[in-house]
Amino acid sequence: MQTEPMNPVEATAAAPRRQARIASQLGAWAASGSPWVWLNAAAIATSLIAVVGLLVLIAVHGLGHFWPKAIMEATYAQPDGTRSQIIGESQGHEVVPAERLRGTGIMLPPEVTTAARSLIKVGNRDALGFDFRWVLDDWLLEIRYPEDLVAIERREWGNFFGYVRSVEENGTTIATGPEAWAALQARVQRAQTLAAQIRRIEKDEIGSINYRMERLRLAERRLELHGAPGVTEQADIAAERAALDSEYESLQGRLTALHEAISRDSLTAEIMGNRTVTVPLSSVVRAYRPNAMSLLEKVGIYVAKIWEFVSAEPREANTEGGIFPAIFGTVMMVMLMSVFVTPFGVVAAVYLREYARQGPLTRLIRIAVNNLAGVPSIVYGVFGLGFFVYFLGGSIDRLFFPEALPTPTFGTSGILWASLTLAILTVPVVIVATEEGLSRVPRAVREGSLALGATKAETLWRTVLPMASPAMMTGLILAVARAAGEVAPLMLVGVVKLAPSLPLDGDAPFLHLDRKFMHLGFHIYDVGFQSPNVEAARPLVYATALLLVVIIILLNLSAIAIRNRLREKYRALDH
Amino acid sequence: MEKVHIGHHISQQFNEELEDIRTRMLAMGGLVEQQLADALKALTEGDTELAERVITGDYRVNAMEVSIDEECNRVLARRQPAASDLRLIVAVIKTITDLERIGDQAERVARMSLRLTRSNADRRPYSSLRNLGERVRQQLHDTLDAYARMDTEAAVQIARADLQIDRDYDALSRELITFMMEDPRTITWALDVMWSARALERIGDHARNICEYLIYLVKGKDVRHVSLEQMEAEARK
Amino acid sequence: MNQTSTPTHAIDLSAIERERRHRDLAAEDVCLEVKNLDLYYGSKQALKCINMIIPRRRVSAFIGPSGCGKSTLLRCFNRMNDLVDGVRIDGAIELDGVNIYDRQVNVSSLRRRVGMVFQKPNPFPKSIYENVAYGLRIQGINSRRTLDEVVEKALRGAALWDEVKDRLHDNALGLSGGQQQRLVIARAIAIEPEVLLLDEPASALDPISTLKIEELIYELKDRYTIVIVTHNMQQAARVSDYTAFMYMGELVEYADTDTIFTNPRQKRTEDYITGRYG
Repeated sequence: MQTEPMNPVEATAAAPRRQARIASQLGAWAASGSPWVWLNAAAIATSLIAVVGLLVLIAVHGLGHFWPKAIMEATYAQPDGTRSQIIGESQGHEVVPAERLRGTGIMLPPEVTTAARSLIKVGNRDALGFDFRWVLDDWLLEIRYPEDLVAIERREWGNFFGYVRSVEENGTTIATGPEAWAALQARVQRAQTLAAQIRRIEKDEIGSINYRMERLRLAERRLELHGAPGVTEQADIAAERAALDSEYESLQGRLTALHEAISRDSLTAEIMGNRTVTVPLSSVVRAYRPNAMSLLEKVGIYVAKIWEFVSAEPREANTEGGIFPAIFGTVMMVMLMSVFVTPFGVVAAVYLREYARQGPLTRLIRIAVNNLAGVPSIVYGVFGLGFFVYFLGGSIDRLFFPEALPTPTFGTSGILWASLTLAILTVPVVIVATEEGLSRVPRAVREGSLALGATKAETLWRTVLPMASPAMMTGLILAVARAAGEVAPLMLVGVVKLAPSLPLDGDAPFLHLDRKFMHLGFHIYDVGFQSPNVEAARPLVYATALLLVVIIILLNLSAIAIRNRLREKYRALDH
Repeated sequence: MEKVHIGHHISQQFNEELEDIRTRMLAMGGLVEQQLADALKALTEGDTELAERVITGDYRVNAMEVSIDEECNRVLARRQPAASDLRLIVAVIKTITDLERIGDQAERVARMSLRLTRSNADRRPYSSLRNLGERVRQQLHDTLDAYARMDTEAAVQIARADLQIDRDYDALSRELITFMMEDPRTITWALDVMWSARALERIGDHARNICEYLIYLVKGKDVRHVSLEQMEAEARK
Repeated sequence: MNQTSTPTHAIDLSAIERERRHRDLAAEDVCLEVKNLDLYYGSKQALKCINMIIPRRRVSAFIGPSGCGKSTLLRCFNRMNDLVDGVRIDGAIELDGVNIYDRQVNVSSLRRRVGMVFQKPNPFPKSIYENVAYGLRIQGINSRRTLDEVVEKALRGAALWDEVKDRLHDNALGLSGGQQQRLVIARAIAIEPEVLLLDEPASALDPISTLKIEELIYELKDRYTIVIVTHNMQQAARVSDYTAFMYMGELVEYADTDTIFTNPRQKRTEDYITGRYG
C-alpha cells in the first residue's frame, strides 16, 4: 500500500513481519501435508536403495566368481634383486599404508607412504603350498597374457595354472607342444565320463548296498532282541547278506577297473617358477585356456560353472564345487516345515477364533502366541534339542528302534526335528494370519450357510476355511520367509557341514526323516568362517548368499502366486 | 378430529403442501358458497346483472378445481402419502369434484333466474323456493364449516338435515304441479322453477357427499351408500 | 339419491367389495405362532412380550424404525439369535404347533424348514450351481441328476434361470446385486423350506432389481409362508398381506396391510407411516 520509501522505524518493524510471514508460510506448508509425503518418500527410497544395493552387492561378488578370468604372467622384481615368475588370476586391488607392509617385512623406501597391491590367485596349491599371493603393483613387470596358458579345475588341490607341455598315456608321451592341447581335450572328456561312472557306483550303488546291509544288520539285531532268531530267519538273513556281498564284490571289481582306466592318462605341465608337474587326468574337472577364448566361449564356461555350482556336490571342504545338497536340504526342510506348521497353525487359529469362548483366557493365549514370535530363535533351537531330539527322539528310539542302540536313529538331530523346531518357531505367524483371515470372512456368509441348515463345522469346512485360505497362505509365506533364513536353531537340531546323503533318495522308504542335512544359511557360515582357505571361499559366500535369497524369493513368489489365485477365487463380497 | 393433524411431518415441505391443498379446497368452497348465495339473490330479487356475474364466475370454480386436482396428483406421485395423509388427498380430490358440481348447479340457478325474470313469471312459489335455497345454502355453509373443523358430529347432523331438504323439494314440486294443473300457461315458468329447485336439491346431495368424505377422512370409514344410522355409528366410533 | 330407505342392492355390492379387499387375520391358517416372547441382549430387553401369528402362504411384513426389534424377531423364527452371545429368550414360538425353542428341536433341521435371505446378497464364493446346490450337499445329496433338477427348479422359481442358464459354473460373485439376491433366494428355496424369512432383501438393490424381488415374493407366496422385514414402507405396502408395526421392542399394531396403510388404529403407527415425529 505504501509507495514512499520506508523510514528506519518502519524498516525495523518489517523484519519481524517478514519472519512472521515466513513462519506462516512454513505452517501452511506443514499443514498441506507435503512434509509427510516427502518424509515417506525419503523412507521408501532409503529402504529401496538398501535392498537393491544389498542384492547388487551379493550378485556382483557372487556371480563374478564364475567368470573365467584372464591368466596373467608377469615378472615379479623385488628391490633386493630377486626376480620371479608369477602366473595367476588377479583377484583384486587395494591401497594399503606402507607402514603396514613394512610390518610384514616388505622393504619399502622411507618416502613411500602408501602402496597399491594386488591379490593374485596362483593356484597349484599342491606344488606351491599356497594358492593366493599378495604382490605390490609397482614391482610387477612385463605383464602379459599368453594364449596357451591353461587353467585346470581339479577335484583336489584347487586350480592349476600353467603351460601344458605334453600328454602321457601309461607313462608314454603321446603328444607334446601344440598338439598336447588338442589331445588333452579328448582325454579329459573320457576321464570325465569315467569319473561320472565311478561316482555313480560309489555314491549310489555302493551307498545303496551299504544302506541295505545296515538294515539287514538291524533286522538281525531286532530278531535277537525278541529272543533267539529261528533257523529259517537266520538262513534268510545269511542268504540275503551273501547276495549283497556278492553284489558288492562285483561292483568293487567294476570300480577297480574304472579306477585303472581313469588313471591311464596324465599330463605334464610347467607352472610358475619354471617347475614341471604331472597332473593325473582323473582329477581334472575342466580345462580351458581363458586368454585364448572368445566371449562366447567364456559365456559357455560361465554357464557351465554356474550350473555346476547349483547342481553338484561340494569339494575341497566346501570351498569348491557346488552346493546342491544345501539347496535341496533347505527347500526340503522348508517344505516339511510347511507341512507341519500349516495344519497346526490353522487348527489352533480356528479353535481360538471360532470355538473358544472369547474372554480373558483367549486374550491371554493370543498375547502369548504373539510373544512367542518374538522369542530368539536360538531358544527354539535349545528347546528343539531338549524336547524333540533327546526326549521325543530318545523315546522313539527306545520304543521303535531298540536294535540300533546305542547308535541313535531319531534320538539325534535330523531333518524331522529341524522342521518341527522351525514349525514351532513359525506357528505364531500362521496362527495370527489365519485368525485375521477368519475374522475377515463376512458374518453374512457364515449366516447364509447356517441358514441353509449347515452346522457350524460344515459351515467352517465348506465356506469359511476356503475363504480364509488366502490369509493362511499369507501366514505360510511369512513362515517360509522366516524359516528359510533361520540358521541358529538348525545348528542344534539337524544341520551339518557335509551330509553324506540326501534326505530323499532311491532307497526305501525314500524319505529319510532321521537324516542330517545341509542348509544354505549354515553353508554360508561354514564356508565363510570355518573354511581353511578363506580367500578361496569368499566368493562362494556371496554366491551362496545370493542363491539363498533367490530361493527364498522363489518360495515366496510361488506361495504368493497360489495366494493370489485363491484370493481371486474367494474374493470377498465387496459392494 | 384427534386423528387428523396435517402438521408434524418430518418433512416441513410436505406439511406445507398438505396445508396448501386443504386451504385452497376451503377457499374453493367459499367461492362456491358465494356463487350459490349470489345465484339465489339474483333469483329471488330478479337481479339480472348479478345472475350474469354468477354465470361468468363459474370458470373460476372450474379453474380452482383443475389446479387443486393437479396439486393432489403431484403430492400422490411424489410423496406417496399413507394413512391420514392419503385419506386427506383422496377426500380432497372427491370433494372438489362435488364442489365443482355445486358450482355448476349454482350457475344453472342463475340461468333460470335470468329466464324467470325476463318471462315475468308468477312470483307465488318464490317464497318456498327462497326457503329451499336458504336451507341449501346453510347446508353448504355448515358442510364447509365442519370440514374446516374436521367435525364428524356436525357432518352427521348435516347428512340428517339433507332429509329436510328432500322433503322441502317434494313439497315445492307438488306446489308447482298444482300450478301447472290449474293453468297450463304457467307450465313454462313452473318448469323453470322446478329446474331451479331440482338444482338446489342436488346441491344438498353434493353437500351430503362432502360430509361422507369428511367422515372417511377423519375416521377412515367409507360411509357411502349406507344408512344414516350406520353412518352415525361409524362417525361416533 | 333418496337415502331414507336403505337401497338393498347397494348394501350387497359393498359387502362383496369389502370382503375381497380386507383379509381377516383370525380366519387364516396359522403357520407360526409367537407366544409371550421376550428377548434380552444381556440386560437390555430387545423384544417385549410379543404375541402374534404368522399366517400360512401369506406375506407378512415387519416395519418400524431402526432398532425396533423387527430383525431380531425375524431371526427368532429360525433361531439365528442363538449365534449371538448373551441372548436370552423367554416365551415360545410354535411352528405347526411345536415350540422351536424346545430342547429336542434340532436347529439345523429347523433352519431347513425356515429359510432365510439376508439384507446384503451373500452368495458363497463358488459357482452359481454350487451355491444353489449347497443346502442339498449339506444334506448329503450328491447325485448329479437330483442336483441338476433341483438347481434348475430353484433358479426357475427365483426367476433367474433364463439369465444364468448358460453360465451355471461361473462364479456367483460375477452376478449383479439383484441377480445375487435372487440367487440367494433360489439357494433358500432349493431345500424346499416351509417358511421364507427375508431380512430387508432389497435394501441394497436398485429400484428395478427391487421390483423384480417384489414380483418374485408375490409369486412365491403361493407356496411359502413369507415374512419380510423392510425399512421401505412402500415396499411393505406393495408386497405384504399383513403388516406388523414394531416400536421399541413392542408389537404396536398388526393387521392387514390395507388397514395399516389407510387407517391404522394406533397413533404411533399413523405417525410412523405418514412420516411424522414419533
